[in-house]
Amino acid sequence: MRTKLALTTPAAALGRILDRLDRELIEASDEDILEAARDLGMNPLMKGSAAFLGLQSLSLAEFFDSDALKSLLRERAAQKAAAVVAPKRAARRPVERKDSADE
Amino acid sequence: MPQIPQLADQRILTPAQVALALNIISRMDFLRLKAIARLHARGLPPDVSWDDLLQEAFTRAMVGSRRKPQGVAMVAFLAGIMRSLRAEHWRRARGGPGSRESLRIDHQRDLSRAVELRDPGSDLEQALLAREQLDAIERLFAGDSVALGILAGLAEGRSAAQIRADLGLSKTVYDSARKRIRRTFLREGLTCGLN
Repeated sequence: MRTKLALTTPAAALGRILDRLDRELIEASDEDILEAARDLGMNPLMKGSAAFLGLQSLSLAEFFDSDALKSLLRERAAQKAAAVVAPKRAARRPVERKDSADE
Repeated sequence: MPQIPQLADQRILTPAQVALALNIISRMDFLRLKAIARLHARGLPPDVSWDDLLQEAFTRAMVGSRRKPQGVAMVAFLAGIMRSLRAEHWRRARGGPGSRESLRIDHQRDLSRAVELRDPGSDLEQALLAREQLDAIERLFAGDSVALGILAGLAEGRSAAQIRADLGLSKTVYDSARKRIRRTFLREGLTCGLN
């Protein structure tokens, strides 16, 4: 039985494995998770369980510093700026026409 | 430039806690997502960790830069974001399309003729990291030839039916091996939080 992974490029092989396994984990039942945790001596039903280690370090400060939020804020700021500039230009136009007519 | 409210600096409130409070995800979903983030982190450049991936996925969902299609479960939606983030991180590392670091040679202002300059070193780095991860996965299933055979089939993009036919496995044997694989990756995903 062939048991060597990656006959294609390693990156492509790994990508395919991860994509298929993530479906496995999405479909894992609560019981599957509890069993895996029990194998490790963890009880996720207990408050402060070690299973949640690492998840507590995600902070709101990081949330405010994320790429997605930054790009959204930039996008909104650009939209606001465009909305402010557009009416001003529209208001200025008749004056400019008058100036150019005078010349 | 947006300022972080004073309160946010002092009180640690995680996006996941917000999601939990809003009943967007359950505590079990939270663990499921941790395992998925750690799985996808196997394919990431070394400067990106699994919690970066999870954090970014939560953020994109919360700020609405990625919208959940109707009928898609929240865990599947967040997992999908993490999957595309993995690809995005490598695109950035390579300097491919969509990368801030990409350089365009565009003398004639004809975008269809624009040339992307890629860093060939990042392809080699990705290949080395991927090889390391594949070796690590092989070690996880050392002694379980059925599981390794299934994983080899997945690596080649084969369907469950093709793998079963290739390996001559009954549905029961195949399902049982799949369960072992799932449980192993769940264990790997729950172990610790720091790497």
